[in-house]
Amino acid sequence: MSFLILAVPVIAALLMITNRIIRRMHIISLAASGTMLVSAIPITSDILAFGKIESSFMGGFLYLDALSVIVLDIVVLIGFLACIYSVGYLKREILLGAFDFKRVRLYYVLMFSFMFTMLLALSVKNVGIMWIAIEATTLASAFLVGFYNDRYALEAAWKYIMICSVGIALAMLGIIFLNLSAMAALDSSAQLDWTALMDNAGSLKPSSVRLAFIFILVGFGTKAGLAPMHTWLPDAHSQAPAPISALLSGVLLNSAMYGIIRITAVTNKNMGSSEFSGNLLILLGMLSILTASVFILTQKDYKRLLAYSSIEHMGIIAVAIGFFTPASIFGGLFHMLNHSLTKSMLFFCSGTILQKYGTRQITKIKGAIKLLPYTGTAFLLGLFAIAGTPPFSIFASEFSIMSAIFKEGDFIIGSVLIMLLAFVFAGIAIALFRIFYGTSSMETPQPGEINIPGTIAALILLLMISTMGLLIPEQLKELLHNAQNIIYGS
Amino acid sequence: MSDLFDTLSVLILMTAFVLMANKKVKAYIKTFRVQSALIALSAGILGVEAIMDEGRYDLMVVCVLIVVLKVIYIPGLLHKTYAGIEYRTEKDFILNIPILVLISCSLVVFTYFSFSASGFGVNGSVIDLQLVNTISVTMIGLLFMITRKKAIGQIIGFLEVENGIFITAMFSTQGMPFIVDMGIFIDMLTAVMIMGVLVFKINVTFESINTDRLNKLKG
Repeated sequence: MSFLILAVPVIAALLMITNRIIRRMHIISLAASGTMLVSAIPITSDILAFGKIESSFMGGFLYLDALSVIVLDIVVLIGFLACIYSVGYLKREILLGAFDFKRVRLYYVLMFSFMFTMLLALSVKNVGIMWIAIEATTLASAFLVGFYNDRYALEAAWKYIMICSVGIALAMLGIIFLNLSAMAALDSSAQLDWTALMDNAGSLKPSSVRLAFIFILVGFGTKAGLAPMHTWLPDAHSQAPAPISALLSGVLLNSAMYGIIRITAVTNKNMGSSEFSGNLLILLGMLSILTASVFILTQKDYKRLLAYSSIEHMGIIAVAIGFFTPASIFGGLFHMLNHSLTKSMLFFCSGTILQKYGTRQITKIKGAIKLLPYTGTAFLLGLFAIAGTPPFSIFASEFSIMSAIFKEGDFIIGSVLIMLLAFVFAGIAIALFRIFYGTSSMETPQPGEINIPGTIAALILLLMISTMGLLIPEQLKELLHNAQNIIYGS
Repeated sequence: MSDLFDTLSVLILMTAFVLMANKKVKAYIKTFRVQSALIALSAGILGVEAIMDEGRYDLMVVCVLIVVLKVIYIPGLLHKTYAGIEYRTEKDFILNIPILVLISCSLVVFTYFSFSASGFGVNGSVIDLQLVNTISVTMIGLLFMITRKKAIGQIIGFLEVENGIFITAMFSTQGMPFIVDMGIFIDMLTAVMIMGVLVFKINVTFESINTDRLNKLKG
């Protein structure tokens, strides 16, 4: 029953195709994403009660546990808010004459296919099917990235589909090696199941598992935006329409990271230590944070700034998973959630600012708080939050990751990490200074909010990240602990 | 039987070299067709074996699908895409062909040594020639992608990478589970269609399909 959630976006996309009225499309989109959000609640409580959900449908490849349900909840939550935001965003674009009903229909159909592929990637236990779903996320979102069809958007879309398809193809090679490692240990129907691989990790062939880990890390790492495979990310995130940027950054990166976390767990259990996978993850993670900090310091485009910040946070999660202590895994998963909520909110706000000012240049935006009182305030607070300022939740999770690293006794990596985060903070603070202060230019648009539903969505997220910084709900804590146990294998 | 597969894997590797040495887009498509036909042949032989030994028909279905999609449909689609965009003879490659072929040779050597290094090889000390050959095809496909400027050349490179991985799966694990194979086909087909549409759009907007004109987004 629980897996009927997968049917909702498919039905929504089909209903969209047969529709010609924009208002009705908005209603379908809100209803479908709302249904997904509501049906995620019993799934989550079932997971809390029973630990996992399996289905016997089609040979039983559907499977959910605490780890996948965390990412799934993020997908449906951000998906719902992105649908709310889209209503106002699309209305504005239609008003400006950029979109007609055909474009809106295409937008919604692709958006729901995108959500479907992400949900599918999270709710299967077969690595091969998960790979297919992750590749399909690229295909569903490629036209969304290039949705504006101008020079910039097409360049971004081309880079996105080429780099991600090749990256993900390498992950397939990794999956073949994983299959090869399990040939002797498992019977052929279970050779690619996460659960079976995890349970019998000790009897897999270590040399093949190592090769598999490297290829899968590079493959899914491309999709997760880890440096040096990150080059598609700033382009795609900055050129896509704002709700899609929010989905790409807040949801898609997590789905890819989810794959990396699973293979890390299998590899570490197989090797008996986290040294091999840890070194690689920490290396890529630190490289991502370094790359991001350099580009954030010199960034002139605020949407690209947010995109580089996503690379930074994915790097932090990779480092946290690389250390592989219970505390660091907990921090990494919690950070994943916090980053999604905060970054989606920031992309919502940036979309409204872009529609208001019509420019991506940081230097051309003045007095955002006066013109857009709510969006501007949310953007200001959100930028502080993403830089890691208390009392927001990003601070809480970064702090727990840091303390886990220092508890491990790795002072060099810990201090380098703190220094890089300080650079990022400085970069974001400089950008903030330019956006919210500075002399106002001659021609400023009229004050007033332009996307009221979108602003409400952003404010909901702001409320969530401020409260979660102070206290984590008990159920969430339990879910995170369960997921941590799944990864750590205790 | 193993000798036969060794031969086939060497032939597939040869097509990768031929593709690297090709100069015209039409020749790329022809070579890709030959490569896919060889892969279909390998799948067919494995498929006949599977039917005789275990009564499984899935590999035979995969073989038919390769013929339909990779030998007939996708090359046709690429021909159509290429005919639809303005034809101009431009140099498509960044380095000279002989240098590219030499680099491809060194990639094969590199793959050979990475898979024979002690403890890191898939079969321990025994070197699996088929695996070395098929993974070399993937590596050469990657090189092909990064050294061609035209968007359509990059699509062919992507398809070659896909071919290399597919044949690796075929030789090392007798193919992935059937449902996974089907999913890979659907994904690949959609990917090529989307790339084709993007090539059209890029050609209209940039008046060329040279990807070195895609240089606006930096920093």
